[in-house]
Amino acid sequence: MARGAVFLGAGGGGDPYVGELFVSAQIEAGRFPRVAALDEIADDALVVSIAGMGAPTILVENLISERALLELVRRTETLHNRKVDALISIEMGGVNSMFPLGLGARLGLPVIDADGMGRAFPHLEMTSFSVYGCRASPLVLLDDLGSLVTIDVVDDRRTEELARTNVVAMGALLNGSFYPMSGADAKRTAVAGTITQTLEIGRAIREARHASADPVHALLAYLDQSGEKQHARLLFEGKIADVSHETRDGWHWGQALVRNASGDELKIDIQNEYIVARRNGRTVTVVPDIIATLDRESAEPLTAEMLRYGQRIAVVGFSAAPIMRRAEGLAVFGPRKFKLDEDFVGVEDLVTA
Amino acid sequence: MPTRTIRLGIDVGGTNTDAVLMHGRDILGTNKSFTTSDVTSGVIESVERLLGDTGIPARAVGHVMIGTTQFINAFVQRRDLVQTAIVRASLPRGDGVPPLTAWPEDLLAVIGHHAFEIHGGANYDGSTYADLDERELAEVAETLRQREIGAVAVSTTYAPLRPDIEERMAAFFRAALPSVPVTLSGAVGGLGLVDRENAAVINASLAPLAQRVVKGLEDAISALGLDATLFISQNDGTLISTEEAARHPVFTCAAGPTNSIRGAAFLSGLDDAVVIDVGGTTTDVGSVTHGFPKETALPNFIGGVRTNMRMPDVLSVPLGGGTLVDLEQMSLGPASVGHRLKQEALVFGGQTLTATDVAVAAGVADLGDVASVSYLPSEAVAKAMASMASIAEGAVDRIKTSAVPVPAILVGGGHILLPDQLPGVDRIVRPRHAEVANAVGAAIATVSGRVDKLYDTAMIGRDGAVEAARQEAIATAVAAGAHPETVEIIELIELPMTHIRAGTTQIKVRAVGELDLAVDSSPAITA
Repeated sequence: MARGAVFLGAGGGGDPYVGELFVSAQIEAGRFPRVAALDEIADDALVVSIAGMGAPTILVENLISERALLELVRRTETLHNRKVDALISIEMGGVNSMFPLGLGARLGLPVIDADGMGRAFPHLEMTSFSVYGCRASPLVLLDDLGSLVTIDVVDDRRTEELARTNVVAMGALLNGSFYPMSGADAKRTAVAGTITQTLEIGRAIREARHASADPVHALLAYLDQSGEKQHARLLFEGKIADVSHETRDGWHWGQALVRNASGDELKIDIQNEYIVARRNGRTVTVVPDIIATLDRESAEPLTAEMLRYGQRIAVVGFSAAPIMRRAEGLAVFGPRKFKLDEDFVGVEDLVTA
Repeated sequence: MPTRTIRLGIDVGGTNTDAVLMHGRDILGTNKSFTTSDVTSGVIESVERLLGDTGIPARAVGHVMIGTTQFINAFVQRRDLVQTAIVRASLPRGDGVPPLTAWPEDLLAVIGHHAFEIHGGANYDGSTYADLDERELAEVAETLRQREIGAVAVSTTYAPLRPDIEERMAAFFRAALPSVPVTLSGAVGGLGLVDRENAAVINASLAPLAQRVVKGLEDAISALGLDATLFISQNDGTLISTEEAARHPVFTCAAGPTNSIRGAAFLSGLDDAVVIDVGGTTTDVGSVTHGFPKETALPNFIGGVRTNMRMPDVLSVPLGGGTLVDLEQMSLGPASVGHRLKQEALVFGGQTLTATDVAVAAGVADLGDVASVSYLPSEAVAKAMASMASIAEGAVDRIKTSAVPVPAILVGGGHILLPDQLPGVDRIVRPRHAEVANAVGAAIATVSGRVDKLYDTAMIGRDGAVEAARQEAIATAVAAGAHPETVEIIELIELPMTHIRAGTTQIKVRAVGELDLAVDSSPAITA
């Protein structure tokens, strides 16, 4: 599942490693996560998203405080004056796919097989929840040492700015409970089936490796068949010729350049996640569609931070969930929101099968 | 020959113990013997033969460099490990991911499940978020005494920035349990608490074995009548003292492949190339850039445990002199007769068709009894030789850093299995003494210093931060024995951090220098 989460992380979302260990620790203690389909959740249930917010480089030292997460749920319940019934991920990419599973196992709460992106995005408001009418706040932010901030703002874009300011002021890494919603809201606004999808991505890679088949092609075959509305394309195979990283305004910006033996090149722009891939200057995949970088041999998904000069990789374009591609969504997380001077075109129309 | 200027390089592998005598860049003699189960007697035998063959007096040897795979083998095979405790100061942080999470069951069955978490720790800016709790430390020490723990690892958040916290913990345990070795996470790994802590636990579990092995090697050197300084090879191909190796055996885990890559580069005179080391069971393919083995950028696993140790990027494929061959099915390996090649191969009178027999039948190797393989159909032999080449070609292609053809250096006892041309390689070089490249790699080793820290670029500027990191790496290399004038920075990586108020940057620097021979050999010149 962690492998699938890195894939859907589209280069960002952070390495799920620490989150994976949090889930492992629960399982080793005899507590197993329970995943529930959207239609198993009652319409009047209280559903919240539990996520970490902050720098992945801090997470690998601070790790996860179970006590702080339990306190976060308690304070969220106090705020709403009722029990939380189920947890849901904001983003299925990266480490935040793991927080609800570990905490759900700890509390015995179901985790919904869905999320708010079907991938990872850098901003709190870039969710299908927000686009289709759920609000990120009132939200609770809590640090590992017990300091708490509650934010209640009408506009999710402002909520993002305020939450971000608090993260920076409170030690660069916080846990939060976001997007309090009813079960009915979750059914209406979430990207369904994404935990299953991460598991299936991981399974496709694992089984191909065991069968000594080419795991990249096995994964493409799985992704392209996973529904009529889902398309996957192999964008490029080659070696990384250059990677640049820089931090500006609290974001990770960069570019990766991949070349093949015939001299063709693929450029991937990074704004925390991969936002656009251009082959010899022509766009082949653009947000909100997913760009994933895989180790060419093992199909191990690599985050942008793991890319190094000389690595041999395959780059895959994967269509975002239909709910993410509608006009309302593109207005919030389409190419122009990432300052790209182009309109969204689906990967299946940019690259022929 | 000037006194005590000769270097003795030794590689103790799973099958062979190789030794080489060098003076400057000249190779004076080599020896290849079988490794013995006690290691020491094999080393003594190999060196005695080498000194006998070359007629070089023991007193002429000033430095002995040993590379050994014993510690990694012990850990992977779960033998000679002691009951090991890990004490982490991080609370109230980190309790969601306790120490030893996701460790293999068979390993925990051997080292025990002794994980403790206490209060204490530092933030990314070095400030303290919780004071180290001495009362909890005392309680843990009492429990360790009752459980008769053999080794202790200590860890804390941001140990690379705040070594003092782990130093206090270590001092406490050393006072409470004087005979128990203590490993500090900050001494064995960079940023990333879990990976660093894992490396510390691996190290602690091996520490008592390391003390015995290093003592055994020191005894072997004095039994041989050598009045020489002894160094041990570490993972990046540079040297550490025996005291350091006894304290931190985890640093030596990947020295074998690294030494073979560096030895190959030295013997061939190539600084940028792919290195193919064909042994008895496997072929290890790595690459050398600017004279140093390329390291993996990805997390790596030692015996099933994830660490952030620096390791050479080496790909092992099942192809060696002892690899089993089936000409009817046209299949190769992965099984091998290993060190029983001399008994089992057809050309040596055995009953098993091996890669070595195929090479003899193909006429590329002249070993044993050629007539014993003359019945093999030449077409099938040619096909088998081509499959061996394609196995190597696949591995080379995965290791190469660019599509441009590079030279390949072929070393190891089984290098005859491979042809003089491979696709993607512009030429094949088989240097003289290729069969003992790993011992040569040990003999020519340099010393290094590393830094992996967070720097506040808002306070001292980006250039100031880089300069501070460079100076610290150079100072570390010199303290390890490098000649100050030869130290150079060979790697500098900056990783900016997101979500942090000011510009905070993680900087990794590696400095390397020649061993300062003058300093080490001057004090005790014997007549």
